[in-house]
Formats: sequence, C-alpha cells, structure tokens
Amino acid sequence: MQPEREQESDVALIKAIAARDEAALAQIYDRYRVVLFGLLMRILNNREEAEDVLQEVFLQVWRKAEDFDETRGRPFTWLVTMGRSRGIDRLRTLASRDRVAEAGAREASEETSDAAHDAFKSEQRGLVNDALAQLPDEQKRPLMLAYFDGLTQSEIATHLGAPLGTVKTRMRTGLIKLRELLAGQDASFGF
Amino acid sequence: MVHEDFKEMIPARALSALDAAEARAFNDHLSECDECRMELEEWEATAAAMAVSAKPMEPSPKVRERLLNEVRKELDTVPQVIPFRSATRNLWTSFGLLGAIPAVVMITVLIVGVVMLWRENGALRERVARSEEFMQLVNTPGSRVAELNGVDGGAGATAKLVYDNAGRAMLMADKLPNVPAGKAYQLWFIVGNNPPMPGKTFVPQPDGKGMIKEQMPQAAMRSAVFAITVEPASGMPAPTGPIYLRSSAVN
Repeated sequence: MQPEREQESDVALIKAIAARDEAALAQIYDRYRVVLFGLLMRILNNREEAEDVLQEVFLQVWRKAEDFDETRGRPFTWLVTMGRSRGIDRLRTLASRDRVAEAGAREASEETSDAAHDAFKSEQRGLVNDALAQLPDEQKRPLMLAYFDGLTQSEIATHLGAPLGTVKTRMRTGLIKLRELLAGQDASFGF
Repeated sequence: MVHEDFKEMIPARALSALDAAEARAFNDHLSECDECRMELEEWEATAAAMAVSAKPMEPSPKVRERLLNEVRKELDTVPQVIPFRSATRNLWTSFGLLGAIPAVVMITVLIVGVVMLWRENGALRERVARSEEFMQLVNTPGSRVAELNGVDGGAGATAKLVYDNAGRAMLMADKLPNVPAGKAYQLWFIVGNNPPMPGKTFVPQPDGKGMIKEQMPQAAMRSAVFAITVEPASGMPAPTGPIYLRSSAVN
C-alpha cells in the first residue's frame, strides 16, 4: 500500500513513539488520520463516534508502540487492523448496526483533504476498488459484511439467507482472488 | 481439527469473521503453529487493503488537539525516573569528577552543534521544533550543559544534555549506532560513589539521532556524571550493558 521509503519512515516514527516522542505521534496521526477516519466512518456511520474511536486508536498507538514488531507486519497493516478492530468493537457496543444514520453526517464530512493524498494516493484507492469490483457480487458481499460490518460467517449466512458452508467458501475464494488482483497491480501492498 | 483445517480458516480469521468456537480453536492452534501465524499476517495485510476502499475523510482538528493533550497529560504524570535498585558494579563509581566546563563556552559549542543539527535535519519539522525547545532550555538562566562522548561501541557518537534549575532536562544524541531489536539506549545519572540512577530509554532514528525529555533526579542536580548504555527496551533499574557514551562531571 505504501512506497518502501514511506514504510521505512513509518517504522522509524513508531520507534520514536515508543521512545515517548510526542512529535512522532503527531506526524503519524497527520499521515493516517484521513484513511483511518474514512474507515471508521464507513464502519460507524457516525461522525462523533468515529472521531472518538480515532482518538482512542492513536492513544493505543502511543501506548502500544513498543509492541510493534516490524518483522510481523507493516505499520499500515498494524494501524488499520487496530483501527478496524476498535471500530467494530464500538459498533457492537452501540448495537448501532441497524441504527439510522444521523442526518447529514456522511454528506457533511465527505470532503477529502489534500492530506489524504499524502499517504494514500487516489490511484491506490482506485486499485483496491477496481479489484473489489472484479469480484463476483456473491464473493464481494461476504467480504464487505465481514470487514466493514463486523459480521461473523454465521451472521453473514443468516443475513444473506445462504448456507454457512457456501458463505465460507465464497469468503475464502473472494479474499484469495482479491489478494491475487492486488498483487498483480504491483502497488506494494505488502504481500 | 488438523493443521489443514486451520489453514483453511486463515482468510476468515484475517477478517475476524470466525464464529466464537472456531476462533477459540484457531487461536489455540495459532499459539503453537508458526506457519499459520505467518500466513495469517500475510492475509491480514490483504484484509487491511480493504480499508482503502472506504472514502478518505477529514476528521475535526479537535481530535488531534484532544489526542495530543491526552498524551501530554500522560507524559506529565508518568514517573520520569524508573524506581531505583542498588547496583552491584563498581566500575560506575570510577568516573571521578573532572570539573565543570565554563557555561559560556559550552553554550557556544552547543549553539553551533544545534545549528548544525538544524541544517542537517531542515526537512524534518519536528526535529526543528525539538531543537528550538532544546535551545530554549539552554537559554534558561541557570541551565547547565553536559557533553557526552562515545566510547567503545559508541565511538564517534556524541550527545548533549541540558537541564535547568527545576530539573527539566533534554538529551540530544547524534551518530548513535542502531540498537538490536528489543534493545534501547538508557540514560544514567551517577553521583559520587553511589550506584547509577536510571533514566529514560530511547531508540535513535535510523540516521543515529535521538532525543528525550527527562526530569533530573534531585540527587543529581548539584553534581553528576551522565552515561548511556544499551539495555532491554523496557529499561533496567541498574546498568547491565556496555557504556556507549559518558560525560565528565557537571558541577
């Protein structure tokens, strides 16, 4: 997802955060706030909740930076996995899956700042969306329901009215295909 | 279930989509299977790419403000010095007091050093900000400066530690060798023949530069020698690793 130099820089920033460098935290926040906030808004569909979780995520980065192991994954994966996990936890706590979105919340915050392009070029977002668009809907839907709605395979089966075994197969096949499509884009996705 | 069954589950696990019973069984297996653990890390990277498909959005600037306020509160409340435990080594008591270096000369040298740091790191806004903070501390009436020089494994490395009458201290180091994973540099305060008192740990940037804020132990305010060793990243109550930098005494 990132150029190699940027990733190296991210590792250095996380090490600096582990050494209690407040400026390094500010820098990594500036670099990733837009993509993480976009993810949290997609999960929670509520600006206030998403902003609260975003702050929690970066506080967790501050407190857990020394646990980051660059041999076990990229900084981007670490941050996004942490952000998504916190977002899904909050979603479950609020039981807000069926909650009506607050009026105007999504539209009011759709502006994309220039900073979005610093870390994640729009073409990279396009690559992921293009890859997802190439998946058959029957494979894509279970992936999206799992990733953004936090549903388990059983819940997805119920939601889609499909046999559990079928959902498992489609989810696995879909993610394998997504991985192949992204790897074929040569965009440094880390796998 | 056997290993192959768990391998089949990895993509779903990367999406946190396993049902509770399967997730427990998978996690048990993961604790003893490096192959599945490594494969899971790869699949998690694929899952993480999905985050980018969400539309990037700008949070309120207040989030950044709240975050940094929270962090500053933690920095203010976390004990600045690790609890002391008696050391058994004697070599630490052998530095001796070499006398103070006139403050004016030191400050001049320091200013030149900091300016050089500014030039070298001009592209890095944060470092400049920290350098400014360092300079402010240097210019605080009554502040003192210690110069640390590299020895043995730290040959070529340098550092400057400045502290004011209130005990607020900052250390800036340069040309430090990288430390192995799980290790960090740790600052020590040595007063007379007493065992070294532990300070904070830090990991330098890839270019060998490092900076920490510190609170001076009261006992080190009047006269102390400063040293830096390599220790486990969480810090040690007494030095265990070799000395990389050390100062003369500051009175």
